[in-house]
Amino acid sequence: MQYRMTKLIGKKLITLIMTLFLVSVAAFLAFQIIPGDVVNAILGTEATPEREAKLREELGLNDPPVVRYLHWIGGVLKGDLGRSYRYSKSMNEMMPVAELIGDKLPVTLWLAALAVLIIIVVSIPLGVLWAQGKSRFLDVLFNVLTQTVMAIPSFFLGILVTYLFGMVLHWFQPGGYVSYQTDFWGFLGYLVFPAISVAIPKIAMTARFLRNSMLTEKSADYVRTAKSKGCTDRQVMYGHVLRNAMMPVVTFLGMIIAEIVAGSIVVEQVFGLPGVGRLLISSISNRDFPVVEILILYITAVVIIVYFLVDLLYRVIDPRIREM
Amino acid sequence: MSKATAETIVRIEDLSVNFDATQAVEHVNLEVAAGEIVGIVGESGSGKSVTALTLMGLVADSATMGTGRILFGDTVLQEAGKPRDKALYRRFQGEQMTMVFQEPMTSLNPTKKVGVQVEEMLLLHTELSKEERHQRVCDSFLSVGLKEPEKVFASYPHQLSGGMRQRAMIAMATILHPKLIVADEPTTALDVTIQNQIIELLREINQKEKNAMIFITHDLNLARRLCHRIAVMKDGQVVECGATEDVFADPKADYTKRLIEAVPSRMKPKVQVTVPEGVETGSAAAGDTEHRAERQKPVAVVEHLNVYYRDGGGFFSRKGKQKVVKDADFTIYRGEVLGLVGESGCGKSTLSKAILGMNKEIEGEIKHFSTRPQMIFQDPYSSLNPCKTVEWLLTEPLRAAGELDAAYKMSAADRKAQAYDMLRKIGMDEKYLDRKPSQLSGGQRQRISIGQALITRPGLVIADEPVSALDVTLQAQIMELMRKLQDEMHMAYLFISHDINVVYQMSDRIMVMKDGQIVEQGKTEEIFRSPKDPYTQMLLRES
Amino acid sequence: MGKGAMGKFKNLYFWIGLFMTVIALVWAVLGFFWTPYSTTAMSAAEKFQAPSLRHLFGTDNFGRDIFSRVMKGAGTTVLVGTLVVLISGGLGILIGALTGYFGGILDEFVMRFVDAVNGFPSILLALVMISILESGRHNLILSLGIVFTPSFIRIVRSEFIRLRDADYISRARLMGVGKLRILFVHILPNIFSTFWVSVMIGFNNAILAESGMSYLGIGVLPPNASLGNMLSDAQGYLMRAPWYALAPGLTIVWIVLGFSLLSEGIRRNAGEVSGL
Repeated sequence: MQYRMTKLIGKKLITLIMTLFLVSVAAFLAFQIIPGDVVNAILGTEATPEREAKLREELGLNDPPVVRYLHWIGGVLKGDLGRSYRYSKSMNEMMPVAELIGDKLPVTLWLAALAVLIIIVVSIPLGVLWAQGKSRFLDVLFNVLTQTVMAIPSFFLGILVTYLFGMVLHWFQPGGYVSYQTDFWGFLGYLVFPAISVAIPKIAMTARFLRNSMLTEKSADYVRTAKSKGCTDRQVMYGHVLRNAMMPVVTFLGMIIAEIVAGSIVVEQVFGLPGVGRLLISSISNRDFPVVEILILYITAVVIIVYFLVDLLYRVIDPRIREM
Repeated sequence: MSKATAETIVRIEDLSVNFDATQAVEHVNLEVAAGEIVGIVGESGSGKSVTALTLMGLVADSATMGTGRILFGDTVLQEAGKPRDKALYRRFQGEQMTMVFQEPMTSLNPTKKVGVQVEEMLLLHTELSKEERHQRVCDSFLSVGLKEPEKVFASYPHQLSGGMRQRAMIAMATILHPKLIVADEPTTALDVTIQNQIIELLREINQKEKNAMIFITHDLNLARRLCHRIAVMKDGQVVECGATEDVFADPKADYTKRLIEAVPSRMKPKVQVTVPEGVETGSAAAGDTEHRAERQKPVAVVEHLNVYYRDGGGFFSRKGKQKVVKDADFTIYRGEVLGLVGESGCGKSTLSKAILGMNKEIEGEIKHFSTRPQMIFQDPYSSLNPCKTVEWLLTEPLRAAGELDAAYKMSAADRKAQAYDMLRKIGMDEKYLDRKPSQLSGGQRQRISIGQALITRPGLVIADEPVSALDVTLQAQIMELMRKLQDEMHMAYLFISHDINVVYQMSDRIMVMKDGQIVEQGKTEEIFRSPKDPYTQMLLRES
Repeated sequence: MGKGAMGKFKNLYFWIGLFMTVIALVWAVLGFFWTPYSTTAMSAAEKFQAPSLRHLFGTDNFGRDIFSRVMKGAGTTVLVGTLVVLISGGLGILIGALTGYFGGILDEFVMRFVDAVNGFPSILLALVMISILESGRHNLILSLGIVFTPSFIRIVRSEFIRLRDADYISRARLMGVGKLRILFVHILPNIFSTFWVSVMIGFNNAILAESGMSYLGIGVLPPNASLGNMLSDAQGYLMRAPWYALAPGLTIVWIVLGFSLLSEGIRRNAGEVSGL
């Protein structure tokens, strides 16, 4: 049993690494086939044939793609993430991507973590309450409310939150971001509102999903068996239904987390947070491909690792899958 | 059993149950005494399960009690006009009255260990310590014939076989020695041999514990073997109630008579077609010899056939090959019915698919001497395309045949005429042409299904459990229809069933299959008179 | 039968959804041909006017009529959503039907790809595609169309897999019905209700993705009006003219909500008919 589990994790890890490798190849190749020349883009109006040739040599653009890929991925593995085309460190030195990303990463990660926490804490009790179906009024209210909330795009929600909590109620100061290095609690306090904007639609989705899952489970045969034993409604709900209903929700939450990583890109823009997402947007607009490549790789890694953990968790709670 | 001395455990008085506007149960009276097994027999929708679930307090909340009351001993459990008292019910559920359900797989919680689920009974109703509870659960496993109680205790439902799961359910139902056990079709999902073991186990428990038992079933034969008394239900009413042998010997209600008649049995004559008077009487003798000559010609010959099943076969997984049918060797002759009988998983469906060319993993030879063979499936709900009309369903085979073979080519009007004709043959009429399958009853669907298989006049039709999903009275009608059509159209049937009695009634010859092997084949009467293979003997004894 | 028709009347989700969708569509389509004011005419005298009878949704920082601009923007948004669903739904049916029915190595390959893509947030993939193709309306439609295709493939494929072994399809094979006819005449009509629901979800997701990307400045670019880029402009004047942000934002909510209610209504009706 123990041995099988270890073997399984090993197998999954190999798949994980292979996927990351494929994504890195894809990300690299994608930006090789882009129309337009990078060198022109960097130099712009200052381009002369000599300078172009020199830059070409510097960037290693004369090497065949395989060599360039190996060079790039080798650097990434050693911690050298390449250099930005757009940002400069000094007059003659381009900005290393690692430095560019370094202090932006925690902002995005904290935002995502906070949002996930809010989602789990709010949506699960809400879903359970909803599934109990105590009153018809509550059912309709929840249904209309969740449908409406899911129809609000996250950036509009962000704007609404800014307006309501920032400008009308003055609970926080829009644009008043403090860095986590200077004041960690102030930083978290500011992040709460963006996190709420990210979380609200996902809370609605998760609560709906959990509710449907519980309703399906509630009509399962084993629930009737439990009742025939003389279990109270509470005992049936918490002793039998909840655990089985949570299983699909775990997978669903995995998907939600992956979406939050992307959803935060937009919300960072709304709240003016100096996170990875905003960097990605500006790099895309600026066609700063070394940065884009690394960010794609990073987001992919996060998503894949989340799925990996969800998969393991699923195996722990579902005995039917455990043995496969 | 003398009823005067035995204590009455449960009494249902004048019970009516409604769902919204429809009445599911009407004025039902039933009494069960200690030491007695009472069978409630009826077809699907007869209200037998609703009666039992109402008694147990498990019926859906949308159901209301129109009239009557339910008494357990001296306590009134439920009364018309009053809402169900869940707290009162919980004092009886589990401790005094328990239930065994039809599907042991879904009736057990898939994510909890079987032992823990049985232990929950003790947790809810006793003050025993953890060790004592564990011991009692293991004891109860032993008492229902589960050999390795510790192992069963730690298993999840999916790790046990169907029979073991049902034994565990019975252990759960008996662990607190309740006064009443309600068993709702407890053997329907199981194979014949296991079915018998479970029936014996229930009988043993009843004799030992002297408790009251209600046994709900659609199967008259089963009820006859187990129950002291039976109540026959139809459309929510008890149409007849009495000691089992009295009911069988002298059924009072028309419906009971029909039901008993419809049950396939070796004691009864085979399904025959009654030729209408004045038809073809003159040429009967000539036709007979012609018929005999016909029967010498084969429609399909199967020689040393092995069929394999590939499992896995994914991108990375190695392919495993399993032999499902072993060395099958037989011939199907023109105009005959060849019966194929065996338990689920014996390979009979795989064999039929191989004959139809739907399975490519084969060795050996299959020779066909007729046009495209067709198939009739078990489930009339899934064998008709749900979004098409009856007209489309009946003309599509002709259209397809016309495209493959110029000889079958015909105009749309001709196809429609043929569809009309077939509808009449299967006992329906043109008002059904525009209906979709969802607007037909189960029996009507199976008729259309048969019509669809026969409309291109195939030489061979494989019928895979064509009546198993139907109620007994319908079973008899469909079998009669199949026989009638065969008489008119002279095709051969390969008739597959798990029920040896059904096969007996339909077939001229029989093959018995076990674990992929045909263990015996021969004329129906011969096999039934003197079965040679021990497995056939067992099948005949057990059913 | 009668009960089904009655159910439709009782099903408020369906009727409210239909009402909202029809209004939104008529309004958006009308915007292509006629708007109360010019969407580009600026007027310094009329800037930042609050909603009034003259300017229903007020005016913006250039004194342009927001009602007219929202109409145009809604038109763009609906058009993009429709084209995206047409592209991805069409490709999804074609690829999903073939891989689902025939299986085999090609199917394995496509599925590995689809699973990998499906796991990723769609807006991120669209961003990547846009960054390769450059911003603009046509590239946006193309990117979203491609990005949403895998989810349609998955749905169509799983339905085809479910049905390819159904008894009535085995039966069609026995009759000798041709493969293409089995795919598109025997199976396809049966997956329509499932497909329709996913089309509606896809349409909503496309609208949300489009407006999100236009908001970020990499989708529909000014001077083309789009609800997303209007919101981006409006954010700067949130304090002075909150209606400037509310008008396009609430329009998106209106369209998406109408469609969700409609699809929920349809699902409930379908459930009633099949007894779910």
